[in-house]
Amino acid sequence: MSITKEFSKGLIEENPTLVQLVGMCPTLAITTSVTNGIGMGLSTTAVLVGSNVAISLLRKFVPSKIRIPAFVVIIAGFVTLIDMLIKAYFPALSKSLGIYIPLIVVNCIILARAEAFAYKFEIGKSAADGLGMGLGFTLALMLISSIREILGNGTFLGIPLFGESFQPALIMILPPGGFLTLGLILGVKNWLTDRKKGGEA
Amino acid sequence: MRKNEIVDFGWRLFIITFSVALILAVGNYVTADKIERLNIQLQDEARKSVLPDATEFKNITLEGIGQEEYKMVQSVYEGKKDGATVGYTVNVSPNGFGGAIDMIVGIDTDGKITGIKIVNSSETAGLGSKAQEPEFENQFRGKDAGSSLKVIKNGTPREDEIVAISGATITTNAVTDGVNTAANFIRENLLKVKGE
Repeated sequence: MSITKEFSKGLIEENPTLVQLVGMCPTLAITTSVTNGIGMGLSTTAVLVGSNVAISLLRKFVPSKIRIPAFVVIIAGFVTLIDMLIKAYFPALSKSLGIYIPLIVVNCIILARAEAFAYKFEIGKSAADGLGMGLGFTLALMLISSIREILGNGTFLGIPLFGESFQPALIMILPPGGFLTLGLILGVKNWLTDRKKGGEA
Repeated sequence: MRKNEIVDFGWRLFIITFSVALILAVGNYVTADKIERLNIQLQDEARKSVLPDATEFKNITLEGIGQEEYKMVQSVYEGKKDGATVGYTVNVSPNGFGGAIDMIVGIDTDGKITGIKIVNSSETAGLGSKAQEPEFENQFRGKDAGSSLKVIKNGTPREDEIVAISGATITTNAVTDGVNTAANFIRENLLKVKGE
């Protein structure tokens, strides 16, 4: 497959959140506002590209029997370093993203891509894969958080959309709303895919 | 053969962990000072926002901080302007719905609350988290530190009343409790001396 293909497959076709269903924890936890969704998505993308490149570089050095501990150390190291750099040089960004950065360590998208892709392919493709998967994750988070923020808080990116009389459905930004939104989106997505296949699937 | 494999894995893992540790150590060395300075600056800004008159802050140690009825009091800073004390800021952490709420309360030397700021909390998003909005925080501005503030659910608040955030009474109670505790502490320990 070409590099462009490796990049674009993560956006829709193999979308990490909506197709592969990995990284559910952050997906449900942080999608209470669109700003959060974008922030988490982009910082995950940065870590994903970095860790994919590092693991691809080291793939000949790390024997397959000890690859998991090696991945975990590399990913955790990456996240910690990025966390420190953001805190020191971009304090404003750190203020809005601060709590999500450590969460990236436990995001299984990163480990999944290291295991399924970066360990087997060269650097260019691994970077493209990381970027595509990261942006696919960001898109999915934006979709879920838009629905939750609009219905649950009556705002989009913090800007009120409706008049004073609008009573937001609070449940949408509480934890149950996360499950409801995710479930409905997955349902609609499956329905669309089934229809495309002419109901054969 | 097997033994060799273990040794081989061992040194490979060692090299990886060692390099990561080394990179992190360098990263920490480069950023630690800067992060520390930014933190102090951030806290000074938070203190300034609750006691706008002061230009510099000094940590003061008092007996009773963090003890018995003042268990939630974390630290007290004296706010000064041109060398004269204009008021105090108190860091308190009352227990809200989702754990401790870190907040700062500013009180001037006349015993008026000059402002409050919630620095850190894990209250429910959309309900208790609304306590961090200026609309709620500003309710406390100008209240008399001597009156024990009460929470009402709705209606027009009187001098010593605070309107609760709808759906977040526990958070409102916690914040109000924090303000009352801070006010009592300052009155008992710092203002009384001046009044007499």
